[in-house]
Amino acid sequence: MIAFEHVGKRYGGRFEALANIDFRVRRGEMVFLTGHSGAGKSSLLRLIMLLERPTRGRVLVAGHDIGRLHPSQVPFYRRQIGVVFQDHQLLLDRSIYHNVALPLEIRGVEPREVARRVRAALDKVGLLHREKALPVELSGGEQQRVGIARAVVNKPSLLLADEPTGNLDPQLSADIMALFEDFNRIGTTVMIASHDLALIARLRHRVLRLREGRLVDDEEAA
Amino acid sequence: MSRQSPAPPRGARSQRTRSSSRFRGWLRHHRAMMLDSARRLLRRPIGSLLTMLAIAIALVLPAALWLALDSARLLDAELDESATLTAYLEPHVGEAQAGRIDEAMAAHEGVMRSRLITAAEGMAEFQQALGLDDALERLEDNPLPASIVVVPSDPAPEAVRQLAGELQALSGVDEVRLDLAWLERLRHLAELGSRLALALAVLFGLGVLLVVGNTIRLAVESRRQEIEVVMLIGATHAFVRRPFLYSGAWYGLGGGLLACGLLGLGNQWLTVPVSALAASYGASFTLPRLGLEGSATLLLCSTLLGWLGAWIAVSRHLAEIRPR
Repeated sequence: MIAFEHVGKRYGGRFEALANIDFRVRRGEMVFLTGHSGAGKSSLLRLIMLLERPTRGRVLVAGHDIGRLHPSQVPFYRRQIGVVFQDHQLLLDRSIYHNVALPLEIRGVEPREVARRVRAALDKVGLLHREKALPVELSGGEQQRVGIARAVVNKPSLLLADEPTGNLDPQLSADIMALFEDFNRIGTTVMIASHDLALIARLRHRVLRLREGRLVDDEEAA
Repeated sequence: MSRQSPAPPRGARSQRTRSSSRFRGWLRHHRAMMLDSARRLLRRPIGSLLTMLAIAIALVLPAALWLALDSARLLDAELDESATLTAYLEPHVGEAQAGRIDEAMAAHEGVMRSRLITAAEGMAEFQQALGLDDALERLEDNPLPASIVVVPSDPAPEAVRQLAGELQALSGVDEVRLDLAWLERLRHLAELGSRLALALAVLFGLGVLLVVGNTIRLAVESRRQEIEVVMLIGATHAFVRRPFLYSGAWYGLGGGLLACGLLGLGNQWLTVPVSALAASYGASFTLPRLGLEGSATLLLCSTLLGWLGAWIAVSRHLAEIRPR
């Protein structure tokens, strides 16, 4: 599903964010990406989302060298990936319903189909009863679940998450991770960047460990 | 695998239904953004009105000048009619020969029509015009020559001048008179005016672009976070641009409507003194109105300018905004 081939990323010619990263993630796998802050977790995810382009090597997603995509194709590529952000990136002036509907509106999906899929996604994260609320009326954990609903409403085959439990207490974090496991169980490839080592250890999935821009450890699922 | 590919191979049938549903989705987004941008404008009515007023003021001046020129052109067309030549015949030419010369002139390709004024008729006109019956009756001979008034088919000054030369060469013609200097001056003035109007239209059109561009720039800035988010989840530039283009078009349309209103008000305001002035010259002159066609043109231009201003502003900004 994802293949990094000797990928390097430098910023401004000097700072080396990633060096010689080489790994593969199979379709349907669930992978944690861990390391201290500044180890390159976010940079790696940004390469997959095509927010950055590598300075060396190739990134392949679903067998395609995404470095060769024309800028005009990038939006269409991004529509096939669900992304959950640490700060959830919800639009504060829109209801929960409209936030989750956004990816479908961008794709021009029929309103009836939008309603059906938004409600299904909200139901999955347990927030169907809050669809008319604004993001500020929700707690941090609920906001993060809205972010997840928005990421999965398109039924992506790849789900990325950057520190999805960053600001949450342990119980909420575990709930969120359980949600990701649910999506993984139905075949979605999931990649989660997190430094919550205790939580990761309990979940028993494959872990990629980064240190100073290098892949130092690749533990297969226990 | 096909989910991840930007252009997966598909059957012709599903391709067709997909593209038609995509087109419907596109139309739906246009409609939604048209209404959404109008709603956003209405949410802060004073600010929107001020922007539209600025646009209207920028449009009124060139439009008014254009109207004035339009009426000058009407006047010019009437003057063309009066661009006639008068050929005075030599004194010894008799009536029969004068008739032949008149026919020859009428047959000339540069002549639309000609009219012979015999010496006697000329005298009669002269007497009537001057009211000098007594003094002229005392003359024994009629001192006036016969003359032929010629209306040229081409009223352009060069053509008229050439025609004069050719008529002059006919035998029996003493002198051909034409007075073109004032006509030419008027033409030059009209030309100057229309160039001025064009220059003003370009300048003020740029003004409209700047007004709309600045307003849209602020709107883009205030919705920056939203733009970043939708780009992150796969919005195309066209999708991001759309609501702003509609805002720009609404501003332009509103400005155009206000400009039409201002021109109408100006017309009302000036009608009384202008017709009084014209009446004092024994003429009747009504101020030109924009009319249906003119209004439609103005609205179209202002809407397009608004749209273009928004396009420039958003495009400049989209290049800067990159999702974090």
